[in-house]
Amino acid sequence: MKPVVGFAGMTHLGLISASAAAGRGFEVVCFDRDPALVRRLAQQDWPVLEPGLDELIRGNATRQRFTPVLSDLAACDVVYVAPDVPTDDQGASDLSGLTALINEVAPALKPQAVMVVLSQVTPGYTRALGVLAPERLYYQVETLVFGQAVERALKPERIIVGCADPAAPLDDRLRVVLEAFGCPILPMRYESAELAKISINCCLVASVAVANTLAELCERIGADWSEIAPALKLDRRIGPHAYLAPGLGIAGGNLERDLATVRRLSDLHGTEAGLIAAWQRNSRYRRDWPLRQLQERVLARVTEPVIGVLGVTYKENTHSIKNSPAVALIKDLADYRLRVFDPAVRASSDWHARMTVTDDPLAPCDGADALVIMTPWPQFRKLAPAAIAGRLRGRVVIDPFSMIDRAAAAGAGLDHAVLGAPLPGCAE
Amino acid sequence: MTLSHAHPHSRKPARLVVLGAGGFLGRHLVTASAAASIETVAIGSRDIDLADGAAGARLAQRLRPRDVIVFLAALTPDKGRDAGTLMRNLAIGRAVCEATHAVEVGQLVYASSDAVYSFATTLISEETPAAPLDLYGAMHRTRELMLAAEARAPLALLRVTAVYGPDDTHNSYGPNRFLRQALKDRRISLFGNGEETRDHIYIGDAVDLILRVVLRGSTGLLNVATGKSPTFRAVAEMIAARAGGPIEIASSARQNPVTHRHFDTSNLLRAFPDARCRPLRDGLAATLADVRAEADA
Repeated sequence: MKPVVGFAGMTHLGLISASAAAGRGFEVVCFDRDPALVRRLAQQDWPVLEPGLDELIRGNATRQRFTPVLSDLAACDVVYVAPDVPTDDQGASDLSGLTALINEVAPALKPQAVMVVLSQVTPGYTRALGVLAPERLYYQVETLVFGQAVERALKPERIIVGCADPAAPLDDRLRVVLEAFGCPILPMRYESAELAKISINCCLVASVAVANTLAELCERIGADWSEIAPALKLDRRIGPHAYLAPGLGIAGGNLERDLATVRRLSDLHGTEAGLIAAWQRNSRYRRDWPLRQLQERVLARVTEPVIGVLGVTYKENTHSIKNSPAVALIKDLADYRLRVFDPAVRASSDWHARMTVTDDPLAPCDGADALVIMTPWPQFRKLAPAAIAGRLRGRVVIDPFSMIDRAAAAGAGLDHAVLGAPLPGCAE
Repeated sequence: MTLSHAHPHSRKPARLVVLGAGGFLGRHLVTASAAASIETVAIGSRDIDLADGAAGARLAQRLRPRDVIVFLAALTPDKGRDAGTLMRNLAIGRAVCEATHAVEVGQLVYASSDAVYSFATTLISEETPAAPLDLYGAMHRTRELMLAAEARAPLALLRVTAVYGPDDTHNSYGPNRFLRQALKDRRISLFGNGEETRDHIYIGDAVDLILRVVLRGSTGLLNVATGKSPTFRAVAEMIAARAGGPIEIASSARQNPVTHRHFDTSNLLRAFPDARCRPLRDGLAATLADVRAEADA
């Protein structure tokens, strides 16, 4: 008989993970202590934007049910605790909500049911909990990627499980749940699993930092990173899925949190972590690339300029604006008139007093001296450079992610600046 | 720490007091301030010897409450690089601190120097740790710390890169010396092949940024630089191309290793997005005209 799986905490991580477990055929109980959120979920009004989420939950039908009643978790054999963990401006996690939820859920479990902490925690957290017998408590590494969360939750590359004693066999019911995902299962001690997630993110940041560092050099010396990156991906030691697209630094909150955690641990234990500080510095520097481009091409040249901004979220296919470079840029341009569009999030007047929010992706171009495409939403690729040129007052398009075709942009007479490509007209 | 503004829009100070008004930056600042109809008090070393033990009290007598002080006074390396010069410069810093204890001023703007940075980092931002390599850099860093700890005034620290332009009497290695050499000797002498990169800001742009800090009541730390760092050879070639007639650019045996310095000016752009530093070629043209007039005279 298949184990019944419970999830506590129905924000981004919990909702996606629970839906994936139901999608793998398990009966799933989704608990959240917020009755308003549960009502919203029961009405199929999802609080997060993730491609494929709606279809997945609708397909799960009665296997997945939402409840604000804690005791409903007593029906479960395996209960995941998975609330999103907030971080502050310094990247520090606030684990108090997670701890409170764990302490609330533990007494509600049926005897011998196991608990799995799924929210990301700092190394040492799980072993120090002490709420259940060690053989009933696990930590599982989440690999949520905003905008790709459903696909990754259904088809993980591997599952990393932190255990009190990695030499002891996994609980049978948990093993059945994990094996349903058809990928390697890697049990290890709690502390290793907790650090494994941070290690993964550090590797990703390293790749991004390499791409950003060399892409900037490309801009200055006439090389083109878009020609170089494919060559790197064919190298077995780097790989086809390496994070080699240049960007505007790291954002979203999770990677920043892990870098901050490593720095704190290194400071505490006296280990060398200068590399982490360098990545953070590189990220902050690269975030300001659009501002530097705008200053050089528009702000220092045009009186009372108007700037069009496409994209507000920190990346495509998400509602999240956590550490969004677009929001930072909008705030930095407080002295200028802005015209802003985003397909998912309406820009807030709290960010900028002289901003017009539009409902049409081409409308920010109207009468603007420059267009800045801050988020790589797929629909922006459909914007024709000629149409942009026809509605802009100026010629400048700052397009870090190369969302519009470079040759067509040149053909339309646009001054088109792209990350990693030789910069038009003047060096950055 | 970066710059933050007390005033959302420019607001003239009650009065501007320029310390070091007889120097290169000071003369230009006083002129620009007066042109902006700001009541300005120019204090140079002939008015008050700020290194004197009683200078704090004397300076306080010249101040009024709510004055804004721009502190430019310093004995520059051409006046001495020794410990005695260091101590006199620190005495000047102490006098300014003492004066702010006696009179409650509105703002204190200190013109520090990029000499507080080492060459270990080539792309400098306000986050780059200060690690001075000589007594002049150590003097500025010590003054920064002294003012932050002891001056009773909202404080702006401006770390200014090399400034060039008309009426520069320092003749330090760089644009102004090259201009004089080109016009007088028809020959510009480089250290090595002039491979080093440095940021050079035109005097008018440096003064404009200082005035912006005054008008916005800014506090915090800002590097005052252009964000462009040509090699000394490129500077020499620009001058040679504009000086008229053939100019020899002479290399010499290198005495020191090549060092580079660039500025990430993101925080400056954020603080003053419409500020514009003129291209070096334009600044050199303006300076050339001035140096020619000086040579003719």
